[in-house]
Amino acid sequence: MLMFLRFAATRAVMALVTLLTVSFIVFSLMALVPANCAERYLAYKTTQGDQITIADIRAEESRLGLDRPFVVRWVAWVGDVFLRGDFGESCILRVRVSQLVGDKFLLSLGICAAALLFAYAIALPVGIFSASSSRPVLNNVLRLVSYLGLALPNFLLALIIMLISTMMFGDSMTGLFSREFRDVPWSLARLADFLSRAWLPVFILGWSATAFAMQTVRALVADENGKLYVTAARARGVHGVALLWRYPARHALGPIINSLGFDLNRVFNQLPIVAVILVLTDSGALLLEALARSNDQQLAGAIIFLLTASIVALNFITDLALAAADPRVRKSVMEG
Amino acid sequence: MAANDPALPLLSVRNLSVDFRTDEGRITAVDDVSFDIMPGEVLGLVGESGSGKSVTAKALMRLNPGNTIYAPESRIVLRDEGREIDVLALRRARDLMVVRGGRVSMIFQEPMASFAPAITIGRQMEEQLLLHTGLTRRQARAHSIDMLARVGISDPAKRIDQYAFEFSGGMRQRAMIAMALSTRPRLLIADEPTTALDVTIQAQVLDLMRGLVAEYGMAILFITHDLGVIAQMADRVAVMYLGRIAEAGSVRQVIRTPAHPYTIGLLNALPKVDDPDAALTPIPGDIPSPLDRPSGCVFHTRCPQAMPGLCDRRVPLLAEHAAGHAAACFALDPAEAPA
Repeated sequence: MLMFLRFAATRAVMALVTLLTVSFIVFSLMALVPANCAERYLAYKTTQGDQITIADIRAEESRLGLDRPFVVRWVAWVGDVFLRGDFGESCILRVRVSQLVGDKFLLSLGICAAALLFAYAIALPVGIFSASSSRPVLNNVLRLVSYLGLALPNFLLALIIMLISTMMFGDSMTGLFSREFRDVPWSLARLADFLSRAWLPVFILGWSATAFAMQTVRALVADENGKLYVTAARARGVHGVALLWRYPARHALGPIINSLGFDLNRVFNQLPIVAVILVLTDSGALLLEALARSNDQQLAGAIIFLLTASIVALNFITDLALAAADPRVRKSVMEG
Repeated sequence: MAANDPALPLLSVRNLSVDFRTDEGRITAVDDVSFDIMPGEVLGLVGESGSGKSVTAKALMRLNPGNTIYAPESRIVLRDEGREIDVLALRRARDLMVVRGGRVSMIFQEPMASFAPAITIGRQMEEQLLLHTGLTRRQARAHSIDMLARVGISDPAKRIDQYAFEFSGGMRQRAMIAMALSTRPRLLIADEPTTALDVTIQAQVLDLMRGLVAEYGMAILFITHDLGVIAQMADRVAVMYLGRIAEAGSVRQVIRTPAHPYTIGLLNALPKVDDPDAALTPIPGDIPSPLDRPSGCVFHTRCPQAMPGLCDRRVPLLAEHAAGHAAACFALDPAEAPA
């Protein structure tokens, strides 16, 4: 147990170092965008009819601290992010980024996590069962379903469902909230409304994730099934579900946990497209907006950092889960 | 409960033929093999890889994969306390348990690969005992520790909670033997149990097995490609080539006075301890692909004594030439030999 805590602590430090590195890269990218925040804001003001001079820009730069050296600005930014969760001000909108992103980011994360959960809730039993079944009809049906999942793009599935729902219920099911709940504080009624709508993006994102996960689980379990220790267990009289769970499925768990990180990444990448079509006000859509419409590097940087941080965090968790699942990993990381 | 009759074979295999359905067509792995194992006897099954010895052994526990076809006339009968169990007729996994870890146990060539890597040795041993005996988990654990101690693993109470990768090669095979014997089987199938081990460890493991056979009074089907190991371990030996038994007899008979040209070839390919400078004579040619089984005697393509027109046309049957010593070869059978 003590060893495990030490391992967890080491991993946590490594994750933190990764996050710092990521923050540096993100901050550099933000600085690489032509024109800084002061220039951009003031340029935006000119379009509103104000006259702007170079002196105004300099004054704005020193107000925002943009005249300080790069590293100092990075340290200030990172310090605010890590210590206070503060990503500074949006360049254009002049409000706190944290206020803009708000619970949207958590909502997106929740939707992605729910989509993954949905995917694995189906893929695990089906994949394990089909890897161990010798019935060709069953396997071919599963293969067809899963190829359909891989081949049918998310946005098309979203459009089809919207079309059907509009025709049948007169509601396109877009948005995460009905109109009356869109901008009101959280309440039980709002939560119920959210849940009644959130299943759709979860289903659409989970659809292709399920197909992927099913293939992964099936291949990994089939691989374990062919190993000698499974034959040896059968030779000892272990059979049925006990054999399946304790041997091939149990031992495929490690690589399945490993693949979770990739899956979350993929679902995250698909979220913006689905979000645009379903008119979700989540961070994926917000990111596209920030990048495409207003070149708001403060906002974009914050969102990129949050996305990366969630993947680093997930990898940290899967590392721990992997060590818990596989004694060989545990031994190698604790002695190495 | 009647005790086993020592005069009746513990296991009888009759006309066992095993085919595999593959994309290339049906492959014959075992062709009309018959043998008996008496209670407490060690039968060696010798052959090169591809000779069908492992498939034969797995057939006894029905461990061959799903594409296996057993010929309808094949019979495998296990005698257990007066009952005759028709192994090939067992259908449900629960019924198969008697030949899977109950009355018959198996140890494999790769001790590392035959333990599940993420489950402790103890858990796997206890699991088998819980399946086959009425022991509680606590009793099963105590018995497992006792078994590990018996096969010479030091500090077994600590070792039992370790994983296979924490054991050395020889210890893994000892643990495998302890697990296989924990349910007191009547027959132990040992599939090349020492091939993956160093020579010194190999001798220790063989010693251990010999001691336990005497103590437990169980029979062993010992599968190997190594005639030297057979000479140390077995009472009787059957030599297999391409799915058929070429020769069978007591170890003394087969090794001192081999009858079949294949056995003679195998023995000539071994280095002689008393004359290490003597040239080794390998058997010419390679073992044919099972997809392309020779007609007639399967060995005729490599046989120095092959008689054209006879050996490539007709299949020689296993016939006794001396008491308890049989070979399947036309050259030994005066009635079949050409004038």
